[in-house]
Amino acid sequence: MEENNDFLKWINGESSDKELVRLKEKENFKTLEKIAHYSSQIATPKIDIAHALKALEVKKKKTVNSGKLILFRTKRLYKYAAAVVLLFTSVYYLTLNSETTLKTEFAQRQRFNLPDNSEVILNANSEISYTKEDWNRTRNISLNGEAYFKVQKGEKFTVQTTLGDISVLGTQFNVKKRAHYFEVKTYEGLVRVHYKNTFIELPKGAVFKVINGVIDLNTTFNIQRKTWLQKESNFKSTPLQFVLEEIENQFDCTIETKNINLSTLYSGGFSHGDLNIALQSVTIPLQLSYEIKGKKITLYNYVR
Amino acid sequence: MAYKSLCSERFFNEFYVTHIQAASNFAYYKSGDQSASLDLAQEGFIKVWENCSKIDILKAKSYLFTIINNLFLNTIKHQKVVFTYAKNSPYLDVDNQSPEYLLEEEEFKDKLKSAILELTEKERSVFLMHRIDGKKYKEIAVLLEISQKAVEKRMSAALKKLRIKIDGI
Repeated sequence: MEENNDFLKWINGESSDKELVRLKEKENFKTLEKIAHYSSQIATPKIDIAHALKALEVKKKKTVNSGKLILFRTKRLYKYAAAVVLLFTSVYYLTLNSETTLKTEFAQRQRFNLPDNSEVILNANSEISYTKEDWNRTRNISLNGEAYFKVQKGEKFTVQTTLGDISVLGTQFNVKKRAHYFEVKTYEGLVRVHYKNTFIELPKGAVFKVINGVIDLNTTFNIQRKTWLQKESNFKSTPLQFVLEEIENQFDCTIETKNINLSTLYSGGFSHGDLNIALQSVTIPLQLSYEIKGKKITLYNYVR
Repeated sequence: MAYKSLCSERFFNEFYVTHIQAASNFAYYKSGDQSASLDLAQEGFIKVWENCSKIDILKAKSYLFTIINNLFLNTIKHQKVVFTYAKNSPYLDVDNQSPEYLLEEEEFKDKLKSAILELTEKERSVFLMHRIDGKKYKEIAVLLEISQKAVEKRMSAALKKLRIKIDGI
């Protein structure tokens, strides 16, 4: 073993003269010397760099880089600027500012790219809208439902919901806005939440949750888990009512309950693969039973 | 520009010119495939370009190598590996020109080549990055995002296997 270490040192050119003399006396040193010598003679394909770079340029054109820098020669631009501004304003007012709306149905999940290459992944039964034309100046987006945002650096990025606004500069976060339920999770960077009269800065790993108007700031989450992005929904001390709504969203069904306390707190999750397994993951811990009839599900208390 | 950014065409090209040969070599050590190695390297640079604003410049090199490694793992997993020696490369003892010696050395080279093919792809890439690209253990560790100890371990394992295979002990 020690011999191996000596060899390792020697081949890296770190042996002292003394060590070298000692090494040279060893019988298998000859082999090592030859290995070192001939292995470095293996030929690798020689790259014609100029040629290869040209080939790369062609490929590069087909892709979009995430933060391309454009340098203007300002002086030369002035004379064109006036003409362009005139042209644009007239076109702008003629065509008007159209709004783009993206939407997912029940049991659907989709990924979109915004004009600046920021990413939005919409969960089931959710909707976002924004104006394309204004995008570079004001990155405003309105959301109803749940979405995961991966924002490119740039101007302030604002997500508006009827319950509160979220603004950031460039980061990753999740917003969930359902009826009477509002939740923001930060996966990267810092997110500012504006809810009614409160401004809250939400660091990585923190959750801002409002259920029926009551703010909960005490929960954290594991940023490694992107839950619904990995086809799973997870809850932590959440009233049953919202868990059931999420099942309805994910599986496109309606749920009715019989004599069940909908404010029972539920911690756990369900996967989006199989309705039966999902229902079991929610009902078994709460000691409930369920019945499926077509798209209608009835939940009732477990009867012995 | 106050700072260098990979998104700037000039700086990116500089980065490319500096590293394309080493990147292609790395792909070659992994795959042993002449034609695929340049493609893998190019693909790696495209990824760097696409993500230029997200990559820390100090880590761009490691990022590039990691990507190439991943691309390799995804595409050509079970390729038959082939290596060749550079033509007209000198023997160890340049003064000895006896036919017997030359034959012996050629035999040794063949043995060495086939022994290298039998190394694992991790051991081989570390060993060849060290031998051919002349990189130190530390540099290799940075590129592969592993510890220097891990590099030394792979190198040591490679040397041991090669010696055993060649000396037949």
